[in-house]
Amino acid sequence: FFSSEDKITVHFLNRDGEILTTKGKIGDSLLDVVIENNLDIDGFGACEGTLACSTCHLIFEKHIYDKLEAITDEEDMLDLAYGLQIKISRLGCQICLTKSMDNMTVQVPDAMSDARQSIDMGKNS
Amino acid sequence: MTQTLKLASRVLHRARCVFELGASLGSRGSGSAPRGLADIPGPSTLGFLAELFCKGGLSRLHELQVQGAARFGPVWLASFGKVRTVYVAAPALIEQLLRQEGPRPERCSFSPWAEHRRQRQRACGLLTAEGEEWQRLRSLLAPLLLRPQAAARYARTLDDVVLDLVRRLRRQRGRGTGSPALVRDVAGEFYKFGLEGIAAVLLGSRLGCLETEVPPDTETFIRAVGSVFVSTLLTMAMPNWLHRLVPGPWGRLCQDWDQMFAFAQKHVERREAEVAMRSQGRPEEDMESGAHLTHFLFQEELPAPSILGNVTELLLAGVDTVSNTLSWALYELSRHPEVQTALHSEITAALARGSNAHSSATVLSQLPLLKAVLKEVLRLYPVVPGNSRVPDKDIRVGDYIIPRNTLVTLCHYATSRDPAQFPEPNTFRPARWLGEGPAPHPFACLPFGFGKRSCMGRRLAELELQMALAQILTHFEVQPEPGAAPVRPMTRTVLVPERSINLQFVDR
Repeated sequence: FFSSEDKITVHFLNRDGEILTTKGKIGDSLLDVVIENNLDIDGFGACEGTLACSTCHLIFEKHIYDKLEAITDEEDMLDLAYGLQIKISRLGCQICLTKSMDNMTVQVPDAMSDARQSIDMGKNS
Repeated sequence: MTQTLKLASRVLHRARCVFELGASLGSRGSGSAPRGLADIPGPSTLGFLAELFCKGGLSRLHELQVQGAARFGPVWLASFGKVRTVYVAAPALIEQLLRQEGPRPERCSFSPWAEHRRQRQRACGLLTAEGEEWQRLRSLLAPLLLRPQAAARYARTLDDVVLDLVRRLRRQRGRGTGSPALVRDVAGEFYKFGLEGIAAVLLGSRLGCLETEVPPDTETFIRAVGSVFVSTLLTMAMPNWLHRLVPGPWGRLCQDWDQMFAFAQKHVERREAEVAMRSQGRPEEDMESGAHLTHFLFQEELPAPSILGNVTELLLAGVDTVSNTLSWALYELSRHPEVQTALHSEITAALARGSNAHSSATVLSQLPLLKAVLKEVLRLYPVVPGNSRVPDKDIRVGDYIIPRNTLVTLCHYATSRDPAQFPEPNTFRPARWLGEGPAPHPFACLPFGFGKRSCMGRRLAELELQMALAQILTHFEVQPEPGAAPVRPMTRTVLVPERSINLQFVDR
């Protein structure tokens, strides 16, 4: 039996392959979990959960995804997510923890390759 | 199933675009260095100036985007007023640019609006603020306006405003010559609706713009909004030496903003006095009467000048945006009766399910055809035809490195009328958003922008548009003015109809 104060374990598979394991309150969104636990995921949740960007895009395990509530408000922003994967992609700010998600792993997709790395910085120095 | 197909088509398209972008990036050989500003093609400074001021280019800036892309390719450089700006007109490149945005995206480095605030020692609102000040305002306002369902709280307030609009349209019919059902200059009516709606949300009180006698100060405000957009464009496009010769536009811009600030100040003060008076007697009522945005900002102890700056800018933002979109929507629906009939059926069936304003608003927001119609209207007539960004670091866009602090113009009008993305791009066809063909690049049509600096009023605008369209189509069949020629858009900072749109509102 879970009360609203109960916590479950969530694993975030970060872009560099590192797994960040943390706990989150049932009912909190995955964005809340990242913020409250200070998880170091670059650029995550830029618009503070207001559905104005898609930086909290996460990829779910199929059996978890299938049980999520249907996509409504987030559709337009999900369309703009980088590395969108059919039927397993969602925005973390819209997904709230339930007890059946205990021990799930969500993957942080790759960001669009950062153009700064390919710039010849020599010309700026 | 449709959803899956739609998604699949999007993902395939995305993969193709990434491939094309990759091909374009690599076209000069992986070893070659990316090119700089000096290598970007573009018109000569004098030629562009002549185009803007002698050939009416300022009011055709949106078409110049299309012409620029045809002549120079997806990236070109031109001098606009005091600064050089890089125009970007390909969805994949706009995506590349926006994905490199920093934590506090800057929109414009030389805004004449911000200059007005500096000269008059006024506080900036969300539109004009930059940096940390902007972030603070954004974090404060976004949960109240932009978070999903936040706007739905204003549904009851807006429901009353929409009913007043329907009554006003009925009264305005048959004035002057022509058909007894004809309303002239519908945008003029919708400006009043826009101001009434945003003021109700911000102040929790009604201005009365939709009554038979329109309060003169609201007409002054609406005129100032239109005027400030004209003078803004002129002010920004004029090089320094021309400003010394022709000081008029800058003077007018300041006068318009002063009028808008005075209007906002009067109404904020009046409203606060009312709230204070009422809550003295019955403190428990404070919650109810305080359910408007300005009151919340006072509670958050935002300094009074900052509240005024924000209310003024949000009032302006609520007038020209919803109204022009609503005008274009009805204009297109009047010319496509088959779409109007289908939309009317969809709305009628849905409203039978909603029991009050809040639930009706929720039901309306889920209607596929209504959503598709609004998307298609904003694709053809994006209120903001070109947005801008000033990167805080050197970024790569296509073949080029754009140095930090360069003004970059995102050509949304050009991309949303690109035939490669939207077959028959000048045709109103909502079905293209309902899985009719391959999905366009997701960044081809961004009427509200994308990311942290995207439109704060998006949810409110969508709600107002859905509710107004639903009620107008419930009460009237909207028909074109007999024999009227097509109306084209023109740029007045925002995109507006180049002349009055007159429509017939026939009782159902």
